[in-house]
Amino acid sequence: MIDSLLFVALPYVAVALCVVASVFRYRSDRYSYSAMSSQFLEHRGLQWGSAPWHVGIILILAGHIAIFLFPRLSASLLSVRPVLLVIEGAGIAFSVLCVAGLLVLITRRLTSARVQAVTSTMDLIVLAVLLVQVVLGIAVAVHYRWGAAWGASTLAPYLRSLVRLQPDSSFVTDMPMLVKVHIVGAWVFIALIPFSRLVHIFSIPLSYLARAPQLVIWSNLRRAERALAMKVAHSRRLFVRGAAATVSGGVLLGAGVLDKLARFFHGPALSDSQQAEVMESRLERIKSTVEQRELELERLKSDFIRIGTLEELDSKKGRYFTDYEMRPALAFRGDDGMPLLISAKCTHLGCTVASDVSDDGKILCPCHISWFDVRTGAPDPGSPARAPLPHLDWVLMNSEGAIVARRMPDGGTAKEEADLAGTSVYIAKRRGEVA
Amino acid sequence: MKLSTTIGLVADFVAERFPVTKMNFASMVAKKEVPVHKMSWAYYLGGLTLFFFIVQVVTGLMLLFYYEPTVSDAHASVEYITEYVSGGALVRNVHAWSSSAMILCVIAHLMTTFAMKAFEKPRELVWVSGVILLFLAFGFGFTGYLLPWNQIAVNATKVGLQSIEEVGNYLPGALSELPRILRETIQGEASVGQATLSRFYAIHVVVLPLMVMGLLGAHLFSVQLHGMSKGVDRESRKKEKFFPTFMVKDLTVWGVVFLVLFVVALCLPFESFFAYPLAEPYNPLGSTPEGIKPEWYFFFVYYPLELLPFWLIFLVMNVGAVVLLLVPWIFRGTSRKTLRTIAIAAAVYMVVITVFGQSIYEMLKGQ
Repeated sequence: MIDSLLFVALPYVAVALCVVASVFRYRSDRYSYSAMSSQFLEHRGLQWGSAPWHVGIILILAGHIAIFLFPRLSASLLSVRPVLLVIEGAGIAFSVLCVAGLLVLITRRLTSARVQAVTSTMDLIVLAVLLVQVVLGIAVAVHYRWGAAWGASTLAPYLRSLVRLQPDSSFVTDMPMLVKVHIVGAWVFIALIPFSRLVHIFSIPLSYLARAPQLVIWSNLRRAERALAMKVAHSRRLFVRGAAATVSGGVLLGAGVLDKLARFFHGPALSDSQQAEVMESRLERIKSTVEQRELELERLKSDFIRIGTLEELDSKKGRYFTDYEMRPALAFRGDDGMPLLISAKCTHLGCTVASDVSDDGKILCPCHISWFDVRTGAPDPGSPARAPLPHLDWVLMNSEGAIVARRMPDGGTAKEEADLAGTSVYIAKRRGEVA
Repeated sequence: MKLSTTIGLVADFVAERFPVTKMNFASMVAKKEVPVHKMSWAYYLGGLTLFFFIVQVVTGLMLLFYYEPTVSDAHASVEYITEYVSGGALVRNVHAWSSSAMILCVIAHLMTTFAMKAFEKPRELVWVSGVILLFLAFGFGFTGYLLPWNQIAVNATKVGLQSIEEVGNYLPGALSELPRILRETIQGEASVGQATLSRFYAIHVVVLPLMVMGLLGAHLFSVQLHGMSKGVDRESRKKEKFFPTFMVKDLTVWGVVFLVLFVVALCLPFESFFAYPLAEPYNPLGSTPEGIKPEWYFFFVYYPLELLPFWLIFLVMNVGAVVLLLVPWIFRGTSRKTLRTIAIAAAVYMVVITVFGQSIYEMLKGQ
């Protein structure tokens, strides 16, 4: 009962009140729509209170709103650990900034006689609610870690249900007390807006950003000179401050960069297992290079290169091998049961053709989509490749090393024995030398 | 024409382009002024290119400390840099992003100087050296692309080099062998392998930098010598001092750009733009993976090559290169308005083909 009162009734009442009363106040008492700045009465304290408070609260509210508006996007972003750490860290930092600013504002309001003269009870209530709210927020962030992440999947749906007019307080009824109070505080805050100086939220002076600067120029010569002297002194102070900031910033930056550079050039400090991992992957690469070199050497030295047994060849899935020019080639089993060797180097731009044969007996070069007929080697009309893939000559040898069959220069097959079981497929160095 | 007169003419030409009387601090720095008009932003592009080049030199030197240019170790060493070396991923990523940014700036610089007619006498040689620097920048891009020795790098390089050989189809008789010999000379062997990697490495880290240093020196020296070109038809009355006003502004731009480059390099790995299998180590025995493409700055010639007959593109590109080199003489009498129109047309073509190249290709090929 109390839950539906606080988490369903209160929100609607608060928002309705906020809208209706704000509109009413705007229509009946337009000039009260302001922050009622007391800067004129006291500015030193205000500077240290108002700026940190506003910077902090604007960023924190923006974060809250972003998570409520884009829960899925934020959830996926926040699932990255560094992002979550940065967001939560920044959130707590800005909350602390808020509290610091608020404390300054409260002290000022309670100690400065001039400000006291214009302070209403409502001002004090607003300050108290804000302070409580921010402190609660920090407490939630500290006690129930990673609220940015879990809020997207619990609080965002709750708010969404309210917006959809299908309120579902079950998302929040089981929340810890701290979180519940923080939520109730938010609704109270919204209800307070039209009755306090908080209405200034609705009158952001955005036009100030684009407005031309207003210069006050004295027409009285004596005053003008004095103003100029002040200006010069001020600009000197600014210069000293700027120079100090630049130098100290530069030193900090330099130290950071030097540190990183030193680490870069020192090289990584690897654990034994990491070192082993690096070493293994390098060995792997060296081995494959060695294999490659061995292939090259083999091709320089031997007259025949074995590709595999005849039984190993398949008509649908090619077997890659490297020809005498170190170019890729594919070995298939032809329809006649004989080997079918075809270059796999695309005649268009030299990519390696894929090894799978399509249902209509074609292989594909994936680079620019050229289909080649395996049996003839000819490319499809309209393919980027125009020349056919050449077929390679082969010989079949039995286990004794005697040639039992070979592909003739004209593409025909010459069999010397009928029984081809257990024979292996070879490519030959040069056609003349095989004979 | 007698030899002495020819020599005299050449000497006069050079003397006019490199006036000794102006070679002093006062006229090259102290008195130099930069016109202020609505195209003034273009004066920053050359400096920005220089900035990215400096970034390339610094990050490139840092990468050299770990990179190993061998077929078996190139990819492993790149992996080592990105995974283990402290800040290595950042340095490599800055190098990659900055290379693209540099080429973008070079192209924009070329187009704006063209539109502003900054190649007018006596600045012809500035233009010519700039165009050669552009070619060198493309050379940097092409050779640097191969060094990580991953699938896309080696396969794209193969395709790129293979197109040299295509030229042979259009040459008669014995000449038709020349392109193949040229390709093999560049490659160092029959197919892209260790020899190619060694050569590209040497070209990328020694040959091209040396050439750029020399040319860039002459380029910058000439710019300081002749001052900024006026850029617009009516001499602008408002001018600012090059030193320190313009220089401080220039450095500010550098600072902002560095910040952007740093953040982008920190957050977005350059390789995230292509599918992972392409970043795997090159496998000489496997099939070529899909999606082999050159770097985006070659799209303006890559997609036309895919769509139109080779000889046409080859002809257009060669004529284009010659025209580009001879711009100061060809467009001597052309008005800035016309030049601007040409530059805008070229820019539109570049943007459209670079951004929508793939869609256009798929549309026309009906896939």
